[in-house]
Amino acid sequence: MRRALLVAVLAAAQTAFAFTGAEVRAVAAHGPWPPALRPDPSNRVSGNREAIELGERLFFERRVSAGGGVSCSRCHVPELNWTDGQARAKGLALTDRNTPSILNVRLARWFGLDGAQDSLWSQGIRPILDPREMGASAAHVAKLVREDVDYACRYRKVFGTTPPASDEAVLADVAKALAAFQETLLSGRTPFDDFRDALVRGDQTGMSRYPEAAKRGLQIFIGKGSCNFCHTGPAFTNGEFHDTGIPFFIEPGRVDPGRYEGIKKLLASRFNLLGPYNDDATRATATGTRHVALEHRNFGEFKTPSLRNLALTAPYMHNGGLATLRAVVDHYSTISPDRLHSDGEAILKPLRLSEEESRDLVAFLDSLSDGGGAYRRKAFTADCR
Amino acid sequence: MRRWFIGLALLAAAPAALACELAGGPAQTLKSNTYTVVYRTGPLRTGEHFAVDFAVCPAPESVRVDAWMPEHRHGMNYRPEVRAQGGGRYRAEGLMLHMAGSWEFVFEVRSGGKTERLTHRVQVE
Repeated sequence: MRRALLVAVLAAAQTAFAFTGAEVRAVAAHGPWPPALRPDPSNRVSGNREAIELGERLFFERRVSAGGGVSCSRCHVPELNWTDGQARAKGLALTDRNTPSILNVRLARWFGLDGAQDSLWSQGIRPILDPREMGASAAHVAKLVREDVDYACRYRKVFGTTPPASDEAVLADVAKALAAFQETLLSGRTPFDDFRDALVRGDQTGMSRYPEAAKRGLQIFIGKGSCNFCHTGPAFTNGEFHDTGIPFFIEPGRVDPGRYEGIKKLLASRFNLLGPYNDDATRATATGTRHVALEHRNFGEFKTPSLRNLALTAPYMHNGGLATLRAVVDHYSTISPDRLHSDGEAILKPLRLSEEESRDLVAFLDSLSDGGGAYRRKAFTADCR
Repeated sequence: MRRWFIGLALLAAAPAALACELAGGPAQTLKSNTYTVVYRTGPLRTGEHFAVDFAVCPAPESVRVDAWMPEHRHGMNYRPEVRAQGGGRYRAEGLMLHMAGSWEFVFEVRSGGKTERLTHRVQVE
Protein backbone atom coordinates (compact mmCIF):
# COMPACT_ATOMS: atom_id res chain seq x y z
CA MET A 1 0.00 0.00 0.00
CA ARG A 2 2.84 2.37 0.96
CA ARG A 3 4.63 1.63 -2.34
CA ALA A 4 1.40 2.20 -4.29
CA LEU A 5 0.94 5.58 -2.60
CA LEU A 6 4.55 6.54 -3.38
CA VAL A 7 4.01 5.64 -7.03
CA ALA A 8 0.80 7.67 -6.97
CA VAL A 9 2.53 10.71 -5.49
CA LEU A 10 5.39 10.54 -8.01
CA ALA A 11 2.98 10.12 -10.91
CA ALA A 12 0.77 12.93 -9.67
CA ALA A 13 3.79 15.19 -9.37
CA GLN A 14 4.39 14.79 -13.11
CA THR A 15 0.94 16.12 -14.03
CA ALA A 16 0.01 19.79 -14.13
CA PHE A 17 -1.09 19.35 -10.52
CA ALA A 18 1.25 18.15 -7.87
CA PHE A 19 -0.79 16.17 -5.36
CA THR A 20 1.17 15.78 -2.14
CA GLY A 21 1.24 12.51 -0.27
CA ALA A 22 -1.31 13.85 2.19
CA GLU A 23 -3.56 14.92 -0.69
CA VAL A 24 -3.33 11.52 -2.36
CA ARG A 25 -4.34 9.88 0.93
CA ALA A 26 -7.22 12.35 1.29
CA VAL A 27 -8.46 11.65 -2.25
CA ALA A 28 -8.03 7.88 -1.82
CA ALA A 29 -10.27 8.03 1.26
CA HIS A 30 -13.23 8.90 -1.02
CA GLY A 31 -13.22 5.45 -2.56
CA PRO A 32 -13.34 2.80 -3.72
CA TRP A 33 -16.72 2.96 -5.38
CA PRO A 34 -18.95 1.02 -5.28
CA PRO A 35 -18.24 0.13 -1.65
CA ALA A 36 -18.46 -3.35 -0.15
CA LEU A 37 -22.04 -4.01 0.94
CA ARG A 38 -23.41 -6.03 3.82
CA PRO A 39 -26.99 -7.05 4.65
CA ASP A 40 -28.65 -5.10 7.47
CA PRO A 41 -28.73 -7.39 10.55
CA SER A 42 -31.69 -5.42 11.95
CA ASN A 43 -33.81 -6.44 8.95
CA ARG A 44 -34.29 -10.20 8.52
CA VAL A 45 -35.29 -9.77 4.85
CA SER A 46 -32.40 -7.47 3.89
CA GLY A 47 -31.00 -8.74 0.59
CA ASN A 48 -33.89 -11.20 0.09
CA ARG A 49 -34.86 -11.22 -3.61
CA GLU A 50 -38.59 -11.63 -2.99
CA ALA A 51 -38.53 -8.94 -0.30
CA ILE A 52 -36.88 -6.58 -2.76
CA GLU A 53 -39.66 -7.20 -5.27
CA LEU A 54 -42.38 -6.74 -2.64
CA GLY A 55 -40.69 -3.55 -1.48
CA GLU A 56 -40.44 -2.22 -5.03
CA ARG A 57 -44.15 -2.80 -5.60
CA LEU A 58 -45.04 -1.14 -2.29
CA PHE A 59 -42.77 1.81 -3.07
CA PHE A 60 -44.90 2.70 -6.08
CA GLU A 61 -48.20 1.67 -4.43
CA ARG A 62 -50.49 4.65 -3.84
CA ARG A 63 -52.93 2.58 -1.76
CA VAL A 64 -50.37 2.61 1.06
CA SER A 65 -51.43 6.21 1.72
CA ALA A 66 -54.67 7.38 3.28
CA GLY A 67 -57.02 8.08 0.38
CA GLY A 68 -54.88 6.07 -2.04
CA GLY A 69 -53.38 9.06 -3.81
CA VAL A 70 -49.73 9.22 -2.74
CA SER A 71 -46.92 6.67 -3.01
CA CYS A 72 -43.31 6.93 -1.83
CA SER A 73 -42.46 7.82 -5.43
CA ARG A 74 -44.48 11.04 -5.17
CA CYS A 75 -41.44 12.67 -3.57
CA HIS A 76 -38.74 10.13 -4.44
CA VAL A 77 -39.08 10.27 -8.23
CA PRO A 78 -36.71 7.82 -9.98
CA GLU A 79 -36.29 10.09 -12.99
CA LEU A 80 -35.32 12.98 -10.68
CA ASN A 81 -32.57 11.02 -8.96
CA TRP A 82 -35.08 9.84 -6.34
CA THR A 83 -35.95 13.34 -5.19
CA ASP A 84 -38.62 15.74 -6.46
CA GLY A 85 -36.94 18.93 -7.64
CA GLN A 86 -38.98 20.99 -5.17
CA ALA A 87 -37.64 23.15 -2.35
CA ARG A 88 -39.89 21.46 0.18
CA ALA A 89 -41.56 18.08 -0.21
CA LYS A 90 -45.30 17.91 -0.80
CA GLY A 91 -47.26 14.76 -0.08
CA LEU A 92 -50.82 15.23 1.13
CA ALA A 93 -49.65 18.70 2.22
CA LEU A 94 -46.52 20.85 2.11
CA THR A 95 -43.82 19.70 4.53
CA ASP A 96 -40.96 21.66 6.12
CA ARG A 97 -37.97 20.06 4.44
CA ASN A 98 -36.34 19.25 1.14
CA THR A 99 -36.67 15.66 -0.12
CA PRO A 100 -33.32 13.89 0.19
CA SER A 101 -32.38 11.43 -2.56
CA ILE A 102 -32.57 7.80 -1.47
CA LEU A 103 -29.67 6.74 -3.69
CA ASN A 104 -27.00 5.10 -1.51
CA VAL A 105 -29.32 5.42 1.49
CA ARG A 106 -28.27 1.99 2.75
CA LEU A 107 -24.89 3.44 3.66
CA ALA A 108 -26.37 5.85 6.22
CA ARG A 109 -26.13 5.54 9.99
CA TRP A 110 -29.03 7.87 10.73
CA PHE A 111 -32.08 8.44 8.52
CA GLY A 112 -34.03 11.58 7.83
CA LEU A 113 -32.52 15.05 7.85
CA ASP A 114 -32.88 15.11 11.64
CA GLY A 115 -31.80 11.49 12.13
CA ALA A 116 -35.02 10.64 13.94
CA GLN A 117 -34.70 7.06 12.67
CA ASP A 118 -31.83 4.64 13.20
CA SER A 119 -32.59 2.09 10.47
CA LEU A 120 -33.66 2.24 6.87
CA TRP A 121 -36.78 0.25 7.66
CA SER A 122 -37.89 2.51 10.51
CA GLN A 123 -37.32 5.49 8.23
CA GLY A 124 -39.86 3.99 5.82
CA ILE A 125 -42.53 4.08 8.52
CA ARG A 126 -42.24 7.82 9.19
CA PRO A 127 -43.67 9.18 5.90
CA ILE A 128 -46.38 6.51 5.84
CA LEU A 129 -47.71 7.79 9.18
CA ASP A 130 -46.97 11.52 8.71
CA PRO A 131 -50.28 13.33 8.08
CA ARG A 132 -48.56 15.69 5.62
CA GLU A 133 -46.95 12.93 3.60
CA MET A 134 -48.99 9.73 3.26
CA GLY A 135 -51.29 10.15 6.26
CA ALA A 136 -51.88 6.42 6.80
CA SER A 137 -51.95 4.27 9.92
CA ALA A 138 -50.62 0.84 10.86
CA ALA A 139 -54.19 -0.49 10.61
CA HIS A 140 -54.59 0.95 7.10
CA VAL A 141 -51.34 -0.61 5.82
CA ALA A 142 -52.01 -3.96 7.54
CA LYS A 143 -55.49 -4.09 6.01
CA LEU A 144 -54.05 -3.55 2.52
CA VAL A 145 -51.49 -6.34 2.96
CA ARG A 146 -54.00 -8.76 4.50
CA GLU A 147 -56.85 -8.16 2.03
CA ASP A 148 -55.01 -7.69 -1.26
CA VAL A 149 -54.53 -11.24 -2.56
CA ASP A 150 -51.26 -10.49 -4.35
CA TYR A 151 -49.69 -8.63 -1.40
CA ALA A 152 -50.84 -11.30 1.07
CA CYS A 153 -49.25 -13.96 -1.16
CA ARG A 154 -45.99 -12.01 -1.46
CA TYR A 155 -45.95 -11.35 2.30
CA ARG A 156 -46.20 -15.13 2.92
CA LYS A 157 -43.36 -15.81 0.50
CA VAL A 158 -41.08 -13.23 2.06
CA PHE A 159 -41.84 -13.73 5.76
CA GLY A 160 -42.93 -17.38 5.69
CA THR A 161 -46.25 -16.76 7.40
CA THR A 162 -49.53 -14.97 6.92
CA PRO A 163 -49.57 -11.35 8.10
CA PRO A 164 -49.79 -11.40 11.92
CA ALA A 165 -52.70 -10.02 13.93
CA SER A 166 -50.68 -7.04 15.13
CA ASP A 167 -51.09 -4.09 12.74
CA GLU A 168 -47.86 -2.63 14.07
CA ALA A 169 -45.93 -5.82 13.30
CA VAL A 170 -47.28 -5.84 9.72
CA LEU A 171 -46.28 -2.19 9.32
CA ALA A 172 -42.75 -3.00 10.49
CA ASP A 173 -42.53 -5.88 8.00
CA VAL A 174 -43.84 -3.69 5.17
CA ALA A 175 -41.14 -1.17 6.05
CA LYS A 176 -38.51 -3.94 6.00
CA ALA A 177 -39.56 -4.95 2.49
CA LEU A 178 -39.43 -1.28 1.44
CA ALA A 179 -35.94 -1.07 2.92
CA ALA A 180 -34.84 -4.22 1.06
CA PHE A 181 -35.80 -2.48 -2.19
CA GLN A 182 -34.16 0.81 -1.28
CA GLU A 183 -30.94 -1.01 -0.44
CA THR A 184 -30.61 -1.81 -4.15
CA LEU A 185 -30.49 1.87 -5.13
CA LEU A 186 -26.83 2.72 -5.56
CA SER A 187 -25.31 5.40 -7.74
CA GLY A 188 -22.86 4.37 -10.42
CA ARG A 189 -19.23 5.23 -10.99
CA THR A 190 -18.38 8.81 -11.76
CA PRO A 191 -15.53 10.73 -13.44
CA PHE A 192 -14.17 11.38 -9.95
CA ASP A 193 -14.02 7.64 -9.19
CA ASP A 194 -12.02 7.01 -12.35
CA PHE A 195 -9.62 9.80 -11.41
CA ARG A 196 -9.32 8.62 -7.83
CA ASP A 197 -8.50 5.07 -8.88
CA ALA A 198 -6.01 6.32 -11.49
CA LEU A 199 -4.35 8.52 -8.87
CA VAL A 200 -4.00 5.59 -6.45
CA ARG A 201 -2.59 3.39 -9.25
CA GLY A 202 -0.28 6.15 -10.46
CA ASP A 203 -1.90 5.90 -13.91
CA GLN A 204 -0.98 9.10 -15.78
CA THR A 205 -3.28 8.43 -18.73
CA GLY A 206 -6.25 7.79 -16.48
CA MET A 207 -5.54 10.94 -14.47
CA SER A 208 -5.24 13.06 -17.59
CA ARG A 209 -8.87 12.34 -18.55
CA TYR A 210 -10.17 14.22 -15.50
CA PRO A 211 -10.88 17.90 -16.28
CA GLU A 212 -8.27 20.33 -15.00
CA ALA A 213 -10.92 22.52 -13.36
CA ALA A 214 -12.22 19.49 -11.42
CA LYS A 215 -8.68 18.72 -10.24
CA ARG A 216 -8.29 22.28 -8.98
CA GLY A 217 -11.71 22.06 -7.32
CA LEU A 218 -10.75 18.77 -5.68
CA GLN A 219 -7.67 20.40 -4.18
CA ILE A 220 -9.88 23.13 -2.73
CA PHE A 221 -12.31 20.48 -1.43
CA ILE A 222 -9.61 18.65 0.53
CA GLY A 223 -7.48 21.75 1.22
CA LYS A 224 -8.51 25.36 1.57
CA GLY A 225 -12.20 24.46 1.76
CA SER A 226 -11.82 21.65 4.32
CA CYS A 227 -15.07 20.33 2.88
CA ASN A 228 -13.86 16.80 3.63
CA PHE A 229 -14.04 17.48 7.37
CA CYS A 230 -17.74 16.59 7.12
CA HIS A 231 -18.07 15.17 3.59
CA THR A 232 -15.91 12.14 4.31
CA GLY A 233 -15.45 8.70 2.83
CA PRO A 234 -16.70 7.07 -0.35
CA ALA A 235 -20.22 8.50 0.11
CA PHE A 236 -18.87 12.00 0.92
CA THR A 237 -20.66 12.24 4.26
CA ASN A 238 -19.73 11.57 7.87
CA GLY A 239 -23.37 10.66 8.46
CA GLU A 240 -23.63 13.11 11.36
CA PHE A 241 -25.21 16.52 11.98
CA HIS A 242 -24.02 20.10 11.71
CA ASP A 243 -25.29 23.65 11.83
CA THR A 244 -24.32 25.17 8.49
CA GLY A 245 -25.83 28.59 9.03
CA ILE A 246 -28.97 27.91 7.00
CA PRO A 247 -31.93 29.61 8.72
CA PHE A 248 -34.09 27.18 10.65
CA PHE A 249 -37.14 29.43 10.64
CA ILE A 250 -39.78 27.71 8.51
CA GLU A 251 -42.07 30.72 8.68
CA PRO A 252 -42.52 33.55 11.18
CA GLY A 253 -42.94 32.02 14.63
CA ARG A 254 -42.15 28.44 13.57
CA VAL A 255 -38.71 26.85 13.64
CA ASP A 256 -37.27 23.52 12.55
CA PRO A 257 -35.29 22.23 15.55
CA GLY A 258 -33.49 19.65 13.39
CA ARG A 259 -31.36 17.09 15.21
CA TYR A 260 -32.45 18.25 18.67
CA GLU A 261 -36.01 17.09 18.08
CA GLY A 262 -34.75 14.19 15.96
CA ILE A 263 -32.96 12.61 18.91
CA LYS A 264 -36.04 13.03 21.10
CA LYS A 265 -38.23 11.37 18.47
CA LEU A 266 -35.70 8.58 17.97
CA LEU A 267 -35.58 7.70 21.66
CA ALA A 268 -39.37 7.81 21.97
CA SER A 269 -40.00 5.55 18.97
CA ARG A 270 -41.16 1.95 19.39
CA PHE A 271 -39.53 1.26 16.03
CA ASN A 272 -36.01 2.21 17.07
CA LEU A 273 -33.26 -0.39 17.22
CA LEU A 274 -33.62 -0.75 20.99
CA GLY A 275 -37.25 -1.76 20.47
CA PRO A 276 -39.03 -5.04 19.75
CA TYR A 277 -38.80 -4.92 15.95
CA ASN A 278 -35.02 -5.05 15.61
CA ASP A 279 -34.23 -8.48 14.13
CA ASP A 280 -30.64 -8.33 15.38
CA ALA A 281 -30.76 -10.41 18.56
CA THR A 282 -27.31 -9.19 19.60
CA ARG A 283 -28.50 -5.54 19.51
CA ALA A 284 -25.01 -4.61 18.25
CA THR A 285 -26.83 -2.53 15.63
CA ALA A 286 -28.29 -0.40 18.45
CA THR A 287 -24.97 0.92 19.76
CA GLY A 288 -25.48 4.39 18.28
CA THR A 289 -29.03 4.65 19.61
CA ARG A 290 -27.95 3.47 23.06
CA HIS A 291 -25.22 6.09 23.31
CA VAL A 292 -26.46 9.07 21.29
CA ALA A 293 -26.17 12.30 23.29
CA LEU A 294 -28.78 15.06 23.29
CA GLU A 295 -27.08 18.45 23.51
CA HIS A 296 -28.34 22.00 23.22
CA ARG A 297 -26.06 22.51 20.23
CA ASN A 298 -28.11 19.92 18.30
CA PHE A 299 -30.76 22.59 17.78
CA GLY A 300 -30.68 23.55 14.11
CA GLU A 301 -28.27 20.79 13.14
CA PHE A 302 -29.10 18.72 10.06
CA LYS A 303 -27.54 15.64 8.53
CA THR A 304 -24.53 16.00 6.27
CA PRO A 305 -25.80 14.86 2.86
CA SER A 306 -23.91 12.58 0.52
CA LEU A 307 -22.48 14.48 -2.42
CA ARG A 308 -22.85 11.64 -4.90
CA ASN A 309 -25.12 12.65 -7.79
CA LEU A 310 -25.30 16.06 -6.16
CA ALA A 311 -25.63 17.82 -9.51
CA LEU A 312 -28.91 15.94 -10.05
CA THR A 313 -30.60 16.83 -6.75
CA ALA A 314 -31.21 20.59 -6.77
CA PRO A 315 -32.40 22.52 -4.85
CA TYR A 316 -30.11 22.17 -1.85
CA MET A 317 -29.87 22.32 1.95
CA HIS A 318 -32.42 21.05 4.48
CA ASN A 319 -35.02 23.60 3.41
CA GLY A 320 -34.24 23.57 -0.31
CA GLY A 321 -33.34 27.23 0.05
CA LEU A 322 -30.39 27.25 -2.37
CA ALA A 323 -31.26 26.65 -6.02
CA THR A 324 -27.89 25.79 -7.52
CA LEU A 325 -24.53 24.26 -6.64
CA ARG A 326 -22.97 27.67 -7.23
CA ALA A 327 -25.32 29.14 -4.61
CA VAL A 328 -24.16 26.48 -2.14
CA VAL A 329 -20.50 27.27 -2.82
CA ASP A 330 -21.24 30.99 -2.43
CA HIS A 331 -22.97 30.25 0.90
CA TYR A 332 -19.84 28.61 2.31
CA SER A 333 -17.63 31.25 0.71
CA THR A 334 -19.38 34.11 2.47
CA ILE A 335 -20.91 32.45 5.55
CA SER A 336 -21.10 34.68 8.60
CA PRO A 337 -19.95 33.03 11.86
CA ASP A 338 -22.59 35.19 13.58
CA ARG A 339 -25.24 32.92 12.07
CA LEU A 340 -23.86 29.86 13.84
CA HIS A 341 -24.46 28.74 17.43
CA SER A 342 -22.20 30.56 19.85
CA ASP A 343 -21.85 27.30 21.82
CA GLY A 344 -21.58 25.17 18.71
CA GLU A 345 -18.76 23.88 16.59
CA ALA A 346 -15.98 26.11 15.32
CA ILE A 347 -15.61 24.38 11.96
CA LEU A 348 -17.11 26.81 9.49
CA LYS A 349 -15.53 30.06 8.48
CA PRO A 350 -15.98 32.01 5.25
CA LEU A 351 -13.87 30.38 2.54
CA ARG A 352 -13.56 33.67 0.61
CA LEU A 353 -13.14 31.86 -2.71
CA SER A 354 -12.26 33.79 -5.84
CA GLU A 355 -14.51 33.58 -8.87
CA GLU A 356 -12.21 31.02 -10.48
CA GLU A 357 -11.95 28.96 -7.30
CA SER A 358 -15.74 28.89 -6.97
CA ARG A 359 -16.09 27.68 -10.58
CA ASP A 360 -13.45 25.01 -9.99
CA LEU A 361 -15.16 23.76 -6.84
CA VAL A 362 -18.45 23.47 -8.75
CA ALA A 363 -16.62 21.60 -11.55
CA PHE A 364 -15.36 19.11 -8.96
CA LEU A 365 -18.82 18.69 -7.42
CA ASP A 366 -20.27 18.13 -10.90
CA SER A 367 -17.80 15.29 -11.39
CA LEU A 368 -19.39 13.34 -8.50
CA SER A 369 -22.43 12.43 -10.60
CA ASP A 370 -23.04 9.32 -12.69
CA GLY A 371 -25.48 11.02 -15.05
CA GLY A 372 -28.51 9.40 -13.45
CA GLY A 373 -31.31 7.53 -15.18
CA ALA A 374 -30.16 4.00 -14.39
CA TYR A 375 -33.48 2.85 -12.90
CA ARG A 376 -36.25 1.58 -15.15
CA ARG A 377 -39.82 1.47 -13.87
CA LYS A 378 -41.52 -1.88 -14.16
CA ALA A 379 -45.08 -2.77 -15.12
CA PHE A 380 -46.32 -4.78 -12.14
CA THR A 381 -48.96 -7.50 -12.51
CA ALA A 382 -50.71 -9.38 -9.73
CA ASP A 383 -49.14 -12.75 -10.45
CA CYS A 384 -48.05 -14.14 -7.08
CA ARG A 385 -48.83 -17.81 -6.61
CA MET B 1 17.37 -2.15 58.23
CA ARG B 2 17.35 0.37 55.38
CA ARG B 3 17.18 -2.44 52.78
CA TRP B 4 14.22 -3.93 54.67
CA PHE B 5 12.38 -0.55 54.46
CA ILE B 6 12.93 -0.28 50.69
CA GLY B 7 11.57 -3.80 50.27
CA LEU B 8 8.45 -2.87 52.24
CA ALA B 9 7.92 0.25 50.12
CA LEU B 10 8.21 -1.79 46.92
CA LEU B 11 5.72 -4.30 48.27
CA ALA B 12 3.30 -1.49 49.09
CA ALA B 13 3.70 -0.04 45.62
CA ALA B 14 3.40 -3.36 43.86
CA PRO B 15 -0.42 -3.65 43.77
CA ALA B 16 -0.79 -0.20 42.22
CA ALA B 17 1.89 -0.88 39.62
CA LEU B 18 0.33 -4.20 38.74
CA ALA B 19 -3.15 -2.66 38.54
CA CYS B 20 -1.95 -0.32 35.80
CA GLU B 21 -0.68 -3.04 33.57
CA LEU B 22 -3.26 -3.66 30.89
CA ALA B 23 -2.92 -7.17 29.54
CA GLY B 24 -3.24 -7.80 25.85
CA GLY B 25 -0.73 -5.63 24.01
CA PRO B 26 0.66 -2.11 23.76
CA ALA B 27 -1.16 0.60 25.68
CA GLN B 28 -0.83 4.33 26.26
CA THR B 29 0.19 5.55 29.72
CA LEU B 30 -0.94 8.92 31.12
CA LYS B 31 0.14 10.36 34.45
CA SER B 32 -1.05 13.13 36.74
CA ASN B 33 0.13 14.04 40.22
CA THR B 34 -2.22 11.46 41.71
CA TYR B 35 -3.15 8.94 39.04
CA THR B 36 -1.80 6.75 36.31
CA VAL B 37 -4.15 5.78 33.49
CA VAL B 38 -3.19 3.05 31.04
CA TYR B 39 -5.54 2.75 28.09
CA ARG B 40 -5.97 0.97 24.81
CA THR B 41 -8.52 1.33 22.02
CA GLY B 42 -9.34 -0.77 19.02
CA PRO B 43 -8.42 0.66 15.61
CA LEU B 44 -9.59 4.28 15.42
CA ARG B 45 -11.55 4.81 12.20
CA THR B 46 -13.68 7.83 11.48
CA GLY B 47 -17.37 7.07 11.96
CA GLU B 48 -17.05 3.69 13.67
CA HIS B 49 -17.98 2.90 17.25
CA PHE B 50 -15.18 1.59 19.45
CA ALA B 51 -14.42 0.76 23.07
CA VAL B 52 -11.64 1.88 25.40
CA ASP B 53 -10.11 -0.54 27.88
CA PHE B 54 -8.21 1.13 30.68
CA ALA B 55 -6.84 0.89 34.16
CA VAL B 56 -6.63 3.66 36.77
CA CYS B 57 -4.17 3.63 39.66
CA PRO B 58 -4.90 4.15 42.44
CA ALA B 59 -8.51 3.06 41.92
CA PRO B 60 -10.73 6.18 42.04
CA GLU B 61 -14.28 6.61 43.27
CA SER B 62 -15.45 7.30 39.73
CA VAL B 63 -14.09 7.87 36.25
CA ARG B 64 -15.53 9.33 33.03
CA VAL B 65 -14.17 9.01 29.53
CA ASP B 66 -14.79 11.51 26.76
CA ALA B 67 -13.17 12.78 23.57
CA TRP B 68 -13.27 16.12 21.80
CA MET B 69 -11.69 18.10 18.98
CA PRO B 70 -10.13 21.17 20.61
CA GLU B 71 -9.55 22.98 17.32
CA HIS B 72 -13.15 22.37 16.20
CA ARG B 73 -14.56 23.07 19.65
CA HIS B 74 -16.87 20.08 19.69
CA GLY B 75 -17.01 16.70 21.32
CA MET B 76 -18.46 13.40 20.29
CA ASN B 77 -22.13 12.99 19.44
CA TYR B 78 -22.23 9.95 21.71
CA ARG B 79 -22.01 9.46 25.47
CA PRO B 80 -19.79 6.53 26.43
CA GLU B 81 -20.72 4.22 29.27
CA VAL B 82 -17.96 3.16 31.64
CA ARG B 83 -18.18 -0.21 33.33
CA ALA B 84 -15.83 -1.33 36.09
CA GLN B 85 -14.25 -4.69 35.32
CA GLY B 86 -12.72 -5.15 38.78
CA GLY B 87 -9.16 -4.63 39.98
CA GLY B 88 -9.06 -0.99 38.87
CA ARG B 89 -9.83 -1.91 35.27
CA TYR B 90 -12.62 -0.42 33.20
CA ARG B 91 -14.20 -0.59 29.77
CA ALA B 92 -15.86 2.40 28.10
CA GLU B 93 -18.23 1.61 25.24
CA GLY B 94 -20.11 3.72 22.71
CA LEU B 95 -17.41 6.14 21.61
CA MET B 96 -17.26 7.38 18.02
CA LEU B 97 -14.97 9.96 16.43
CA HIS B 98 -17.13 11.32 13.62
CA MET B 99 -14.57 13.53 11.92
CA ALA B 100 -11.00 13.13 10.76
CA GLY B 101 -8.38 15.23 12.54
CA SER B 102 -6.91 15.77 15.98
CA TRP B 103 -8.97 14.40 18.88
CA GLU B 104 -8.19 14.49 22.58
CA PHE B 105 -9.17 11.66 24.90
CA VAL B 106 -10.12 12.88 28.37
CA PHE B 107 -10.13 10.67 31.47
CA GLU B 108 -11.87 12.51 34.30
CA VAL B 109 -10.91 10.78 37.53
CA ARG B 110 -12.65 11.63 40.80
CA SER B 111 -11.96 10.75 44.42
CA GLY B 112 -12.51 12.56 47.73
CA GLY B 113 -14.32 15.46 46.09
CA LYS B 114 -11.37 16.22 43.78
CA THR B 115 -11.33 15.69 40.02
CA GLU B 116 -8.27 15.33 37.83
CA ARG B 117 -8.26 15.27 34.04
CA LEU B 118 -5.73 13.18 32.18
CA THR B 119 -5.66 13.83 28.44
CA HIS B 120 -4.05 12.42 25.33
CA ARG B 121 -4.13 13.59 21.70
CA VAL B 122 -4.66 11.20 18.81
CA GLN B 123 -4.79 11.83 15.07
CA VAL B 124 -7.60 10.15 13.13
CA GLU B 125 -7.62 9.93 9.33
